Amino acid sequence: MSSNAHLRSSIAAACLLAALASEARADAASCPAQIPLGLTTALTGNLALLGTQARNGAEFAVDEINAAGGIAGKKLQLATEDTGASSTDALNAMNRIIEGKPLVILGSMISPHVFAQTESVNKSETPFLVGATNAKVTAQGSKWLFRTHVHDGQLATLIPEYLIKTLKMTKPGIMAVADDYGLGASKGIQAALAALKVTPAAITSYAPSDKDTSAQLLEIKDKGADSLILFGRPADVALVMKQMGDLGIKLVTIGNSSVVAQTTLNNLSAAEADGGYAIGGMIPQTSTDPKILDWAKRVQEKYKVPADNFTVSYYDTVYMLKAIIEKVGCDKAAIRDALAATKDWKGLLISYQADSVGDLAHTLGIYKNKGKTPELIGPIKEAGY
Amino acid sequence: MGQLVVNGLALGSIYALVALGLLLIFNTVQIVNFAQGQLLMLGAFIGISCAVTHELPIALAWAATIVAMALIGVVFMLLVYFPLRGRPPFLVVLTTIAMGIVLENLALIIWGPLPVSLPSPVRGPPLRFAGVVISMHQLAIFGTLAVILLLQFLLLTKTRFGILMQATAQDLHTARLVGIPVNRTIAVAFALGAVLSGIAGLLVAPLFLAEPTMGGGLGLKGFVVSVIGGFGNLPGAVIGGLFLGLIETFGARYISSDFRDAYAFIVMIAFLTAWPRGLLGEKASEKV
Repeated sequence: MSSNAHLRSSIAAACLLAALASEARADAASCPAQIPLGLTTALTGNLALLGTQARNGAEFAVDEINAAGGIAGKKLQLATEDTGASSTDALNAMNRIIEGKPLVILGSMISPHVFAQTESVNKSETPFLVGATNAKVTAQGSKWLFRTHVHDGQLATLIPEYLIKTLKMTKPGIMAVADDYGLGASKGIQAALAALKVTPAAITSYAPSDKDTSAQLLEIKDKGADSLILFGRPADVALVMKQMGDLGIKLVTIGNSSVVAQTTLNNLSAAEADGGYAIGGMIPQTSTDPKILDWAKRVQEKYKVPADNFTVSYYDTVYMLKAIIEKVGCDKAAIRDALAATKDWKGLLISYQADSVGDLAHTLGIYKNKGKTPELIGPIKEAGY
Repeated sequence: MGQLVVNGLALGSIYALVALGLLLIFNTVQIVNFAQGQLLMLGAFIGISCAVTHELPIALAWAATIVAMALIGVVFMLLVYFPLRGRPPFLVVLTTIAMGIVLENLALIIWGPLPVSLPSPVRGPPLRFAGVVISMHQLAIFGTLAVILLLQFLLLTKTRFGILMQATAQDLHTARLVGIPVNRTIAVAFALGAVLSGIAGLLVAPLFLAEPTMGGGLGLKGFVVSVIGGFGNLPGAVIGGLFLGLIETFGARYISSDFRDAYAFIVMIAFLTAWPRGLLGEKASEKV
């Protein structure tokens, strides 16, 4: 055999081996009988509502997939660990999840928890999908971490722009919850307002445990604000909007999805909720698609908690994984590569597309409350998408 | 300015109500119940179950909550105080903290994580005076605090039962030797302490929404105002509560809202350092 013939046959053999290996990797039937997924989320403590809504989305999708026969006949097995409200507990919860050797881990929507967990997940070399909204979550340089929810960096730019350019307000007051989530967003909003050459009338915050925000609201009113940028979680946003009503303060209010979340609106009168704007992750209640409304209704019936933007995000995440496992099988690196190559994958309300750092969600919703009913003004895409 | 005063006093009245429940138990068994805030949360949720879920008239919902809280108070005593009586007080105090966590998680399991509102027992348009808005509910809070302070003061100083409670607090063993029904006295103290927390919960829920973790912060503030007022002193607790409500509200408005929660503890530390007896506390020697 000549050296050329030898080379040709070697290349052919290598190609055959590569093809066979690729075939094995792409075979979902080669997955274990129970495909293990891990989830860490806050189910107790003061973040339990958010964590529960995320858990509901993931669990609902897993149950649907398993009821429909699983992935190539293999059932998904979701192990859930409670993070509580503490980052230390979140890390412990993650370590317990990693001990179970999951194929993929769904992380928290609470950013400090994700920051605490990322190194452990990196060491385990497991794909890590989170909903945490701090813009820096995906800037940690982890090749295993992906985010399937829009982040505060996007909101911090879009909310001031919409308020100033579209709603024509000139003197907003800012109120944000004093934790990583709210204060990070508040800084971003202040920077975006500065870029628009707008000086906020007042910059205030409240502790997550605060029950009375009248002092902050009165400061914003006394300093002549014409509008309020409100950034918080549904329970405290409801409280702020309720106290605005009690104090007779009427300001154009715009904030994150909490302003239009069902859990917020359930605790407000029509007058208190009316006119509130929100930009954020897409919520299902405003959809005109009967299938999506039916989905939201089924989630509510099953869990007695309304589906929110995080429920949608975690539900989509599980279905995205299903599509990927069907395509590449149960190889962690192949799943990671497929996530990084995601392009126009259609979820419940938005399409997902991976960018260079692992952010997959780039479409947000602009909403306005009409009485206690949120209406979708329109989707808005991050610049470049 | 006027609005800040009204809102600060309303907030302070709630702290004072929590403190009054705390002190009723403390003045009988000399134990600080750190689960007082979680008892408040239970009161709020029981009221919501009655008034919202089962749609009982609000007066009936209040009555049912008060009865339920009295029973819960007795059960609380049986679980937390009785097994540890006679042991070092810190063990009982630690158990109250543990019980608070248990109650929070129990509420999460029973009522879920959703924040819920309770209708106010008083309706009507708010009063408006010189730009200051005072809601009917805020007036109800002020009125309830005044009535409870008066009733508690009369109970402790003018009734036989009040004197039995004080005797039990002074020396439990001697009280038993002279024929005071100590166990019954302590049970009533825990029942009344839980009822006061329940009433505070019923008043807080229409204002602040109820959720399982609402009690932790309010319970701690109740402790802080008790220290400020002079531990064990009822009028002191009320004055301390109103004072703290004003400090927090004015601090958030004129200094920084970022440290609102910290003001309470800074003030408490300042009192403990410079004026450990509190505003109306007695000299330690007078108690001997």
